[in-house]
Amino acid sequence: MTPFLHVELCTKHYGAIRAVDGVSFSVGPGEIVGVIGPNGSGKTTLFNSILGQIRPTSGRMEFCGEDITGMSPLELSRRGIGRTFQTLQVFGKLSVRDNLIVASQEFRGTLPGRLFAASDAGLGRHADEMIELFRLQHVARLPAGSLSYGQQKLVDIAMAFMPSPRLVLLDEPCAGVNPAMVEQLRELLLDLNRTQGGSFIVIEHNMDFIMRLCPRVICMVEGKLLVEGKPEQVQANSAVLEAYLGS
Amino acid sequence: MSTTQKIGLAVVLVAFALAPLVLKNYGIYLLTLWCVYVMAAMGLNLTVGYAGLISLGHAAFLGIGAYTAAILMKAGVAFGFALPASALLCFAAGLALGFPALRVRHHYLAFATLGFNVLVFLFLRNEEWLTGGTFGISGIHRPSLLGLSLDGSAAFFYFTYAATITLALLLAWLIRSPWGRAFAALRDNPIRAESLGVNIVAYTLLAFAIGAGCAGIAGAYFAALVQFIDPSPFHLTASLTMLLMVIVGGSGRFFGPMLGAALVVLLPEWLRFMKDWYLVVFGLSVVALMIWLPGGLLSIPDRIRLRSALQGTDK
Repeated sequence: MTPFLHVELCTKHYGAIRAVDGVSFSVGPGEIVGVIGPNGSGKTTLFNSILGQIRPTSGRMEFCGEDITGMSPLELSRRGIGRTFQTLQVFGKLSVRDNLIVASQEFRGTLPGRLFAASDAGLGRHADEMIELFRLQHVARLPAGSLSYGQQKLVDIAMAFMPSPRLVLLDEPCAGVNPAMVEQLRELLLDLNRTQGGSFIVIEHNMDFIMRLCPRVICMVEGKLLVEGKPEQVQANSAVLEAYLGS
Repeated sequence: MSTTQKIGLAVVLVAFALAPLVLKNYGIYLLTLWCVYVMAAMGLNLTVGYAGLISLGHAAFLGIGAYTAAILMKAGVAFGFALPASALLCFAAGLALGFPALRVRHHYLAFATLGFNVLVFLFLRNEEWLTGGTFGISGIHRPSLLGLSLDGSAAFFYFTYAATITLALLLAWLIRSPWGRAFAALRDNPIRAESLGVNIVAYTLLAFAIGAGCAGIAGAYFAALVQFIDPSPFHLTASLTMLLMVIVGGSGRFFGPMLGAALVVLLPEWLRFMKDWYLVVFGLSVVALMIWLPGGLLSIPDRIRLRSALQGTDK
């Protein structure tokens, strides 16, 4: 499979601490890859290095053959790379519908052109479809900040998918979400993967969720890539068990 | 906006238009001053309320606008040219002041803009060759419109009132456009906004520049209204007063600056009978408002609506 995203020896040091230490992996088109590891293993730092939130100490990132190392989040979003954050990141005072529209409007036309565009930037229907897909119709007009944690989490994820990105990095999408909604979320992500055809990289501590969602899983420990393979192989790996449970 | 709200707005607009028929000259002056501060505060509301960028330097833009118009009009330039010159110069100054906002936020940005206000004030006070220093610039003529003199207080009120409504309509259109939503995204969560393709550099600079441009327009009308300007109305205190207008009315609410400016400009007149106690009452009212209504007076209907809507989703 041709690599879609290729990460080569990504390293991020904070003084003597090696948060990410020479991690290399690839993601193919339409692939869903899970990233697991104990707390502090460098998963989010790896995400932030790929996504331009922090500058890696060394290493190289390629997306569709283009070197994207050190690019800003804005440049990466323009190339079709989206993300969600570990903590809730919705626009609290905007309505749910406006949250979804703003997530996609900047990819349409030019900056001066958007001043003269329709109020919904022509995205109203698409936003309504996403609202329906995520079953948020009853709260669509409410400020996103007034919703429950789980509902805000759904809005947060829906926003990442509004511009139909080619690659989405999801950082702990299940954190704080009730079990019934976790299953709904898994189905939604599989549905979006089928319909939009994008690739996903998912950081998650919920093992059941990740094992049922991702055909390939990477396990990180102390900044290093420990194991990579099919979910059942990673789950059965003694080094992974030791990293999680201790020797 | 519902039909009831539209009718209510039309009634208020007509009431203001008819007010000069029953008011004396000083009352009309106060109403015109209110229009001037509404224009300035609407600009500040865009910067602070919609884009979430704190500014304690708005009076500096009001001053730049007023002095630009005054200097040009004294040199024989028509108000029709002095007005856009004031707006453009303030737009450019706002663009420049927007750069610190790309690096710092919150109280750090407040101090950067405060420093700008102090700098402009010192310039206006000390550069006598241009600004007249503490003596200011006097004898600023009121403009005429299509040969009609606007010297009379009522005529100048209508001229300023029309400009206020025009500026309000332009800002309403801007806020309803995708730009308005991008400003709100910048305010609520700039990191998330950037990850969704919102050019936070461009929108930060635009929020400052457009807000400053509005103050420039207000400044030009202020100079023509008072016909004499000196640095004192552009001191840091004036920036704080305009910020108060925005916050008291409702920061990030379209009609907030109008209500806030009315309270700050007109309330002192209504509370005159209290003499020295006026400031105590005013100060305590503001403290009480910030404790119980941090979203400003116009947040009351939204609070009620949200409460009932959330009760509805629980059922």
